[in-house]
Order: sequence, then structure tokens, then C-alpha cells
Amino acid sequence: MQVYLPIAEMSVDALLLLGIGFGVGWLSGLFGVGGGFLLTPLLILIGIPSPVAVGSGANQTLGASVSGLIAQWRRGNVDVRMGGVLIIGGFLGSLAGVQLFAWLRSAGQVDLAVSIFYIVVLGAVGALMVRESVTAILRRKRSRPQRLHEHFWMHGLPFKMRFRKSRLYISVIPPLLVGFGIGVLSAVMGVGGGFMLVPAMIYLLGMPTAVVIGTSLFQVVFVTANVTFLQAVQVGSVDIVLTLLLLAGGVSGAQFGAAMGTRLRGEEMRALLGALVLSVALSLLWGLLKVPEAMFVIGPVT
Amino acid sequence: MRRLAALAWLLLVAPVLAQAQAPAPPQAIPPPPVLAAELSLNRIEVTTAFSGAEILVFGATERLIGEAGDQVVVLATGPETSMMVRQKVNVLGFWVNGASARFNRVPSYWALASTLPLPQLLDRVERSELRLGLAQLPLVQLGAQGGEFRGALAALQQQAGLWVDRERPIEISGGRLFHARLPLPATVAHGAYHVQVMLVRDRRVVARQELRLDVVRSGTAAQIADIARGQPVIYGLVCILLAALAGWLGSVIFRRN
Repeated sequence: MQVYLPIAEMSVDALLLLGIGFGVGWLSGLFGVGGGFLLTPLLILIGIPSPVAVGSGANQTLGASVSGLIAQWRRGNVDVRMGGVLIIGGFLGSLAGVQLFAWLRSAGQVDLAVSIFYIVVLGAVGALMVRESVTAILRRKRSRPQRLHEHFWMHGLPFKMRFRKSRLYISVIPPLLVGFGIGVLSAVMGVGGGFMLVPAMIYLLGMPTAVVIGTSLFQVVFVTANVTFLQAVQVGSVDIVLTLLLLAGGVSGAQFGAAMGTRLRGEEMRALLGALVLSVALSLLWGLLKVPEAMFVIGPVT
Repeated sequence: MRRLAALAWLLLVAPVLAQAQAPAPPQAIPPPPVLAAELSLNRIEVTTAFSGAEILVFGATERLIGEAGDQVVVLATGPETSMMVRQKVNVLGFWVNGASARFNRVPSYWALASTLPLPQLLDRVERSELRLGLAQLPLVQLGAQGGEFRGALAALQQQAGLWVDRERPIEISGGRLFHARLPLPATVAHGAYHVQVMLVRDRRVVARQELRLDVVRSGTAAQIADIARGQPVIYGLVCILLAALAGWLGSVIFRRN
């Protein structure tokens, strides 16, 4: 069944979009991530223009994260103060990211830039995840006492603030920077950034794991909303028909994935997710390295 | 000689026609109805279920269509646009977009059909005057120069089905009735399309009829595109709300306890 996407200005098979939404939703439910980092490259792969894939990907991530946020909020797992600081950084970052995106688009390099961002970010994150989880699997039996978190140079920074829920008294500069970085990535890659935000919160900010998921969802929802708004206004690339079709598949898929995910062990799951992330990065890298089928590309004047 | 012959023929026929339509002033003599053509549709609506369409041009000629008689040429053009053509270059092993050329006055759609291959119907000069042929399009090239950009534009537009120049045969029935089907892919631009139907006789265009077709976005697709373009702030906010609502609703419906 063909459906016409009004912003992408093309017809796509609706069942294909529902299927992609379901598959990505299933994986995101299984691994507990937003799935935006899989969705945007898949959309580009089926021929959706990069700007539309990024804009609608961010919009889809917003929808996919809302229900998770509501659930975490009910359980009291959201550190609103920390989330607020991250959001301020995220808003500034996504503002800068959308400017960068609009500039890249007029320079005709947006496809390349999106690919490079994905390759670098997913390659690094995937490699780290695989390494970390493999070490954890090997060391499973040995447990050693850990401090609440390590103290290093970062904790000497000024503008300290108390985050009660996270049991932290740290400078606001690191969370602002983390939020800013995720905001830029969100705007350029069309992702929520949870897969980077969660490790940054645990290892960089030293937040307790109980509040990490809820607080990261809190940040993701607001920052993807901001990216959706800015992409719609500045680039005009958010396709609501595409978003809703992906969400319809994604939300149902996520429930099945989540039900299945409870049966898998943490380390194996992280290793699998790491391998998945790495393979997406490698396939995008291959796309840049292989000799293109057509030596010319055409596009509208921007 | 041919021109003279045509003129003589006109002079002969004109008084007869003028008499036939007595009240018309003698200066405004209508051309003899050697060609009559029409489109099956004057309006194509692009809705959310749109997956391409077809322009059906049909009509009749005064004389028999064939090797010795009349020939028909159909040219359809869509609204003009500007396009960028970028060349892929290899930088440190990566294929990236390199030099680019901008083309103005590019027909977003262009399709040609004729009863015989065009070189057999018209001379080169006449073909280029009437712009019958992709090589005859008056494109304005800015930026990088070089014929390869123009060639790539034509090749890619043809690949996308937006420029059709395959000498698609016009089907003839009963010797004088003709019809041609021109495919419109799902990616067509909206706007005014012009379809020219030309009657060729003795290697000259003796009659021409211009038909108009409007491709309009309609229904939900049109409304969404209009709001997104005209009211981007409202559209952005609606996208946020709809996505949030859909996400919340979906989790309620599909919740597995």
C-alpha cells in the first residue's frame, strides 16, 4: 500500500514503514534505547532524503520516549534538577546543531556529514560497549567493592549545585556540556542520544543507575521536541505522516521487545547492542568507501 | 516550394471556410480543423494515496495517419524549477560531493511521444526551434561548467521517470484516431503542465494545439504541506504534540500486563 509523504514529496510503501518502525521499536524495547540511531540510517537507506530522515527521526524518538518517561516519572526515577540542567545544555546544543545542519545543507554536504557523524559516534560507542560488556562477562564471578564515584579534576570546577535525587554535589558545567553535546548530536543525527547520555551520566557525572534512565528520557523528550520544532521551522523537513507511521509500528514493537528483554542477561544484551551499533557504523562506512553507482547526484537548490 | 504550396492551399480553403461560418469577421478565420486533441483529465490530484498517474492524450486528425499522410507529435512539460547537479569525487578514499553546477529553467517533467522517430518527421532546425528533444532544452548552467553535468542531469531525470524520451509510439486506431499515454511518476512536481499536440505533414508542423493539465496536491497531503510551509511554527508544535500523543496512546493500547 503506497502512501504519499507530503514533506518528503514521495510515495513509500506504508507496510515497509510500519515494518521498519516495528523492527526498530522491537530492538529498542529489547535493549531499552530510543532506537533513533537505527531508524535514521534505515530511512536514508530506503531513499528518504537525509534532512527528512533526521527531522522525522527526532520527532519519532520524541513519541517513542514519552511513554517510558511517564512510567519512570510515576516511579519517581527522574531527577528534575539534573534533567533541567541537561535540558538547558541540550537546548543550546540543538540550536547550534540545527544551524550547523542548515549550513551543511546549503553547502550540499549534509549526506556526508550525517554519515560521518554516525560512523564516528556509533563506531566509538559500539566499540566501547562491546569491550566493556565482554570484560564484564569475563569478570562476572569476581566482584570488588566500588566507591560511589571516582573524584577527578572535573569535581574542582566552580558553580556547584546540589542534586538531591542523584546524591551529588557537583559543578553545573559538566552536565551543561554533556547536554550541549547530546543536543548537537540530536539535531544532526535525528536521535535522542540516550545511548550516549546514559554512559555519560553514569561514568562522567557519577549518577546512581536508578535515576539514570528516567532522567535521560526526561532530557531526550524535551531535546527531541526542540529539535523537531527547530527542524520544522528552519529546515522544513519534519514529515508528520512518516513520523506517525513509524510510531504506529514502533510503539507496538517496543512492547514485544521489552517483554523479551527481561529474559536476557545484562552483559550479553550490552554486547549484542554494541555489535548492532558497530554494524550500523560499518555499513555506513562502506557506503562512503565503495565506488558510487552514479558519479553525479541531483537535488533541489537549497 | 512547400511553403508556397501551403500558402496556395490556405488561400483556396480560406474563403470556403469563411462562408461556412458566415457571421465571423473575415480577418479572424479559424484554422481548418486538421487536428483535434484532448486530455482525459485536466486535473490530477496528489493525495496521500498517490502513487503516480498517466496523462492520456487523445484526438483525431483530418487525414489518415501514416507514412505518407499525417504524423502526430506530443510534448508534455511540467513547471520549471532549479536543480543542483553534484559530482562525486574521491577524497582520501571517501566518495564525497565535489564540484556542483546549478541549472535554472529545468522542466520538472518532460515527455515526448511521436508516431515515428522524430528525425524522420522533422528537420534538425525545426526540431531545435520547437525544442523537441532533450538536447534542445534551453537550460541555464551556472557554477561548474562542462557538458557532463548536463548529461548527468538528463540521465538521472530519465532514470527517475521524470524525463521521458524513448520515442514512445502513439497508438493509432481507425487510421485517424490517436492516443498516447505519458507516465507521471509519484515524484512529480505540482503546478501547471502543458501538453502540445502537433500535426506534422510533409516534414512541417501544420497545426498545433496546446492543452493544459494541473497537478495539484489535494486532501490531507496538500493541507499538511501548506501548513508546514506557511505556518512552520504551528506545524512544528503540532508535530510535537501529535508524536507525544501517539507515543502515549500506543503504550496504553499495547501495554502487556
